[in-house]
Amino acid sequence: MKEILKTKNLSKFFYGLKALDRVNINVEKDKLTLIIGPNGSGKTTLINVISGFYKADEGQILFNGMDITNKPPHEINWHGIVRTFQVPQPLKKLTVLENLLIAEQNPGERILNSLLKKWVKKEEEIVEKAYNYLEFLGLDHLWDSEAYKLSGGQLKLLEIGRALMANAKLIVMDEPIAGVNPVLANNILDRITELKKQGITFLIVEHRLDIILKYVDHVYVMANGKVIAEGGAEEILNNKEVIEVYLGATDEAVKCGV
Amino acid sequence: MAQEYLILDIVIWFGLYLIVCISLNVEYGFGGIPNFGRALAVLIGAITVGGIVNRILMATFGVSGGIVEASGLVKSVTNEIIAANPAIGIGILVASLLLAALLGAITGALFILPSAKLSEDYLAITLLAISEVMFMVSYYNTDMIGGYYGVSVPNVLAFVPGEQRLSIFALIILLIAFLAYLLVDRVTNSPYGRLLRAIRENEMVAEAYGKNVMVVRIKTVAFGSAIAALAGALYAYYSVNVIASSFSRVEWTFYPFLMILLGGLANNKGVIAGVLAFVTVKVLLMVYKFEITAALHLPFEAVWLEYIMFGILMLIILIYKPEGLIKEKPIMTDPIKRLVDKIKKAK
Ligand SMILES: Nc1ncnc2c1ncn2[C@@H]1O[C@H](COP(=O)(O)OP(=O)(O)OP(=O)(O)O)[C@@H](O)[C@H]1O
Ligand SMILES: [Mg+2]
Repeated sequence: MKEILKTKNLSKFFYGLKALDRVNINVEKDKLTLIIGPNGSGKTTLINVISGFYKADEGQILFNGMDITNKPPHEINWHGIVRTFQVPQPLKKLTVLENLLIAEQNPGERILNSLLKKWVKKEEEIVEKAYNYLEFLGLDHLWDSEAYKLSGGQLKLLEIGRALMANAKLIVMDEPIAGVNPVLANNILDRITELKKQGITFLIVEHRLDIILKYVDHVYVMANGKVIAEGGAEEILNNKEVIEVYLGATDEAVKCGV
Repeated sequence: MAQEYLILDIVIWFGLYLIVCISLNVEYGFGGIPNFGRALAVLIGAITVGGIVNRILMATFGVSGGIVEASGLVKSVTNEIIAANPAIGIGILVASLLLAALLGAITGALFILPSAKLSEDYLAITLLAISEVMFMVSYYNTDMIGGYYGVSVPNVLAFVPGEQRLSIFALIILLIAFLAYLLVDRVTNSPYGRLLRAIRENEMVAEAYGKNVMVVRIKTVAFGSAIAALAGALYAYYSVNVIASSFSRVEWTFYPFLMILLGGLANNKGVIAGVLAFVTVKVLLMVYKFEITAALHLPFEAVWLEYIMFGILMLIILIYKPEGLIKEKPIMTDPIKRLVDKIKKAK
């Protein structure tokens, strides 16, 4: 029952619009926490604030008990948090492999170290790791194509691979399996389940409940910038308010998924 | 004889421009930092020689007075000493180059510091403006490097017979350019080069993955400016004087941009190709200006063609060959090469 990430009354306003309105969530260590909610309910905004891309207007974010509110994104990453983007953000002119290689910190990223070649060992290690992830995601045959050549779904996979590569303690994903074929989506979630056992925590935003729900440990539901419900998957599916604002009364497909 | 000068001219300008372009390519080609103030770093190199080394020599020989006259005196005294003692000439050259690189790095970092957070377009304009201000100050302020009078600079090759000086200087410039190229090539063919390209492609992703984009940019401009300053110092010793007007934005910012665009961004070999092509055309145009003017029945001197021609060339590259002569390639570190071998074997 240890929490790794906690937000306390976190708020974010965009000119009068309360995109986040006193949001309190607890993300438990080594678990998969899911956030759902209608379009525009503030899920991506929450990720952006946690990862430092947006400044919080009120409230606090604690990571392992440490206040990380409004630190710059790279510092938040150093603490062990990595995030993916809802709209894939490939490094277009870099190869697929190179897109993964930047996920870790390499001593050779400093000018002096690069001159002294103090990076070959680390490079060896991450090249192998990256290629393994590409094989897992079925992108290995594309390892040396530039990322701009990938299809929409392949870009999503690239986004996931880069995050899994990163040696993070908490991986935050914004709709990772949207547009990914069901078999692979299940494989990815199986891998995530494995990684949980290795001590990695996941906070995921996703609309594809039919696929993801059986993997999640805890669910938060957001609407209009507020958390309106939380609980286990079963509990949430039967919550009247959640059915009303998000699931829809006749959404049989969702229930069949569980 | 004319032939020999033609070749020497090409070698000298190839070397000087290679140094400047290879540095600009790190910043702009790899890092996406549009340093429209490249001329500033070159000017700093020249100021190091004309303004600082000159003053050190003045103090050493106890010469006082305005820099314009004093530099002339210092020059004749220093030349005599160097003529008798070559090691001093070489020592002054090497020490000046190191000092120029140091001051280039410091000014580069200082000038990008306030603007590193700006978006690309604003950054470009800000750096251009800062560079112009420095240019104006050093041209109109006669205390720094003699303003519009300029200052004299010792002949670090005073021990060499006059008719050999040019060719030996050309070799020195070529040697330094070669070393600068090797340095940059080694530094960019590494995770650092990859990081620069990543930041260029998507700053947000770089930040999300723990890269401090601001700091990388500042260090990169410092590194690039250190190298570009070498060209300024070499140019000062080559022309045995320094005058601010020689460090215009056209010659040391716009032309270098044109050369790296021509050669291919983020590709060091491309820079060599771009510089060689550009310099050859430029020098030929200069040497055969009368012939060209006559042959084409131009109502003006052919040298004016330069601006028009290079302007058109720039447009043609940007529209039809944006990747330049040699395309950007992924960085193949040794571990990646080994992976390629493994993949090939598996097939
Ligand atoms: N940078 C911004 N400037 C102004 N408004 C913004 C900005 N980012 C988000 N918003 C607004 O905040 C609200 C929440 O947006 P957010 O992207 O967090 O929704 P979401 O829950 O992720 O939706 P979806 O499921 O469609 O991805 C929306 O009304 C959106 O228009
Ligand atoms: Mg969203």
